[in-house]
Amino acid sequence: MSFLIPCPNCGERSVYEFRFGAEVKSRPSAGSPSEDWLRYTYVKQNESGVQKEWWYHRMGCRQWFIAVRNTATNEVLSTSLPEEKPGGTSS
Amino acid sequence: MAHPVDPSPPGHPGGASEGVCPITIFFDGKPISAQPGDTVASALYRCGVRIFSRSFKYHRPRGLLCGSGHCPNCLMTVDGIPNVRTCITRVHDGQKVRHQNATPSLENDWLSVSGFFSWLMPVGFYYKTFTHPLVWRGVEPLIRKVAGLGEVSPEPAADAGSESHPEHGSTGAGPAYAHIFWHTEVAVVGGGPAGLLAALQAARSGGRVVLIDDQPELGGHLRFQGKGRHSGEWVMPDGQDLSGLSGPDLARKMAEQVVKEPRIRVLQDSTCFGLYEGRLLGVLQKLAGGQRTANGSPSAGHSQALERLIYLRTQRLVVATGAYEALPLFENNDLPGVMLRSAAQRLAHLHGVQPGKRAVIVSEQADGGPVAADLKVAGVEIEAVIPRRELVSALGRKHIKGIRTTRGDLACDLLVLEGDRVPDAGLIAQAGGSLRWEEGQRAFLPGEMPPFVTVVGEAAGIQPNPEAPLPGPCSKKTFVCVCEDVTVKDLCDAVQEGFDHIQTLKRYSTVTMGPCQGRMCQLSSIAVCARQTGRAMEQTGTTTSRPPTLPISLGSLAGPRHHPVRRTPLHPCHEALGCTWMDMGDWKRPHHYPAPAAEPGASGHGATPAHTSTSHSHHLPTFVEAEYRAVRERVGIIDVSTLGRLDVRGKDAPKLLDKVYTNRLSDMKLGRVRHAALCDEAGILLDDGTVSRLAEDHYFITTSTGNIEFVQQWLEWWMAGAGWCVHVTNVTGGLAAVNVAGPKARETLAGLTGTSLETAAFPYMNCRQADVGGVPCLMLRIGFVGETGWELHFPAEYGEYLWDLVMKEGQPFGIGAFGVETQRLLRLEKKHVIVGVDTDATSNPMDADMAWVAKLDKEDFIGKAAILRFQARLATGQSERLVGFVMEDDSVPLDGSAVVHGGRPAGRVTSCRFSPSIGRGIGLAWIPSALAHAGRHFSIHVNGQLGQARVTFQPFYDPEGKRLRM
Repeated sequence: MSFLIPCPNCGERSVYEFRFGAEVKSRPSAGSPSEDWLRYTYVKQNESGVQKEWWYHRMGCRQWFIAVRNTATNEVLSTSLPEEKPGGTSS
Repeated sequence: MAHPVDPSPPGHPGGASEGVCPITIFFDGKPISAQPGDTVASALYRCGVRIFSRSFKYHRPRGLLCGSGHCPNCLMTVDGIPNVRTCITRVHDGQKVRHQNATPSLENDWLSVSGFFSWLMPVGFYYKTFTHPLVWRGVEPLIRKVAGLGEVSPEPAADAGSESHPEHGSTGAGPAYAHIFWHTEVAVVGGGPAGLLAALQAARSGGRVVLIDDQPELGGHLRFQGKGRHSGEWVMPDGQDLSGLSGPDLARKMAEQVVKEPRIRVLQDSTCFGLYEGRLLGVLQKLAGGQRTANGSPSAGHSQALERLIYLRTQRLVVATGAYEALPLFENNDLPGVMLRSAAQRLAHLHGVQPGKRAVIVSEQADGGPVAADLKVAGVEIEAVIPRRELVSALGRKHIKGIRTTRGDLACDLLVLEGDRVPDAGLIAQAGGSLRWEEGQRAFLPGEMPPFVTVVGEAAGIQPNPEAPLPGPCSKKTFVCVCEDVTVKDLCDAVQEGFDHIQTLKRYSTVTMGPCQGRMCQLSSIAVCARQTGRAMEQTGTTTSRPPTLPISLGSLAGPRHHPVRRTPLHPCHEALGCTWMDMGDWKRPHHYPAPAAEPGASGHGATPAHTSTSHSHHLPTFVEAEYRAVRERVGIIDVSTLGRLDVRGKDAPKLLDKVYTNRLSDMKLGRVRHAALCDEAGILLDDGTVSRLAEDHYFITTSTGNIEFVQQWLEWWMAGAGWCVHVTNVTGGLAAVNVAGPKARETLAGLTGTSLETAAFPYMNCRQADVGGVPCLMLRIGFVGETGWELHFPAEYGEYLWDLVMKEGQPFGIGAFGVETQRLLRLEKKHVIVGVDTDATSNPMDADMAWVAKLDKEDFIGKAAILRFQARLATGQSERLVGFVMEDDSVPLDGSAVVHGGRPAGRVTSCRFSPSIGRGIGLAWIPSALAHAGRHFSIHVNGQLGQARVTFQPFYDPEGKRLRM
């Protein structure tokens, strides 16, 4: 594994500078049924193909960002900082 | 013995023939003189060595075959490093060369009897025989002894290298292997004419170029060919016409241009062993020869390295790896004296060594081609030139004595073969390029390439190979693979047994899997497979090429073994006290300090940390006893600078902390401290620590040692995209911290600060910003060890000053420093759980008896949904619980001991120590819910017996916490 990731702040860098977070999912609202929480917590899509993921630039700008990556080829199609909106993308 | 043909072989930019200092190398302890520019193999050959190794399986004698680093025949142990390809390794004075894989010597190898038992070792024999585990156990050591290549020295390579490198050894052991990261616009692999031209062209168009050549000098095949394949027009990118020069002259002229070009960095003696994703090349550079090229000189920090692994990121890749010769198939084709053309030419041209006296040349050209002229110049008598189809077998036992042809026998001591030329396509395949069979050239050639790869020179296309007949399927002494001793018969048998796909044939017979990675055998194994299965070459296809394309040392991959070490600002204070260190993550922490000298038996217990929790011990180690008494009876001080510290500011800080921590932190009053825990969405405990509120929008958070990076990232993740006004800053490195605790802690600190430390003014679980001994401190009144105490966080630069000051102030009260071991005991008496020690990746706060950290009436927090489920499960009795226990007997189980219930393991002890206050072993353990009732007994496996333990949910020491609040 030695692919490159274009960090939205720092440009193209080795994957070793980064930390993988998780697949991007939307978090159920408080009080959602148990099934929603179970799916959110334990069920991973683990797509063989293009998926949206959280990555963190550990040895660079130390920012969380979202990458669209083809997990089969490790090609990173795009990266972006999370959209700033009240409430956030993850809540 | 051969005499030099040309006393001054052509000089090259590497400086091969400069200087006349005598070089002596030692072969199996015997001194041998070598010439500058020699390789180890050429020096040995000049002195009459003809057997260079013994084969892998049958211990057949093997001599110089390719002379260019492509076959396994010349592997020896050089300066303690096994399996070195001596034909491309330069000599240096004092070099120690040892043979491998033969006992007692290469000439007389007892193990060669294994050749007579070859019928016992048919193809895939280890899949068929010795399958019973007991039989295998008996046979394995024997097979290990007979088979295999060199042995790894138990000494580190740095030491092995320093044997012969006084300049390396004298300055102490530098790392033997270095790692370095480079970026370039163009990487050219191969230093032959095509590579040199490509590098010059790329540099002229303005790119930065790294040129990687696995040979000691630039020029590729030009260096050792008087005339031949390079005839034709040679016009350099700058317009200089070099046509008509001899090979070595052309090589020298081109190399001069390349070395002069500032945009080209030349790496000599460097193998590009793989192409990885992200256009990353793995390049291994040998530095042991001491001859480093001007452009590729290593930086200061790496000057002692024997090998350097270069992680080379390139935007474009030019593959100019050329072609190598494969070994033709005929009986006894592995006999010493059978030599590929390139080896004979190199010996004659580069090293002035006569390869033999009387040679037969196998060539499709009636006059023998350029090699015939080269041999004649070297004084070799040409006995005959025959086409390959007429060659039947080589004759001789330890060295060739003649050959059998279809037209009779010929005597000779050298057989020079024009082998099939095979484009070196390993990197091409790894780049994702396709290889297609070209019937016209009788070779697999690169087809479709990824856009960033260009293939030039012979790697892209070759002169047609002659069509040669394959030997019959019973050829037992016709070796396809010289690495693994695989014969034509073995391959045919394997196909017969059903391994008729080239990939399964490879795995079953191990053909192409040896050190040469298929260079000698890939083409012929495909040809044999094609014939036996009646398929075409194209249909049969190639095996998959994976890195490394050539063997590289494991040490080079491991690298210099740098391990980061973090030291606290108080490190010198502990050192002055003579503490025993322990590693905690990257940190060095005092495990304990030496026991007071007056007490007997101190030395006996000053052992390693591992001995401190010996089972069946009534008594604590003396050092723990002394440290423990200082804290419980007087006052103790411990360095807690390794705690992670976060500064969280902003108007949305309360919102963030409420979302992420399980507790409610938004309603904290200013100046209060709360214990808080982090869970993930699955309700698993991640970390815990203290949270202090310094202002409405300002919190100070501590995390466990080593967990700071994670906690910071965790907090920032949950605020990513939220648009909140909050900043999380890691202030760990900037702050020192000590915990001063004990009945006399107040008196000790009172003399140093104007801030009142009386409980009325500064109660338990409060914090104050205070001046202590002139140092600005954040004082937290908390009680991890169970005594009245303060945790002081202050600027790192005052670390030693404040430590010394507190020690001096506390002297009248009998202050003592305590280490991690005593701290662990003190907290265990308070039944405080350490997240990550007493909990693991399956532990949640409910089961861990820490329900109080989760404020389930908060609307939402990370992990709430899961924790609610765990809460509901508590009632069902299906969970494991973390409980405190007291031993009913004198035993003290080791950490990790098994809890036994109904004759089965049913849980585990996470921490256990002898408690001086209880006089028994105490600890924490995960036990089945059914047993988790106060006063209930359960069994723990202690030293082969079952010890009885009693469950308790109360702290063992000061259960009401009165001492904390005094």
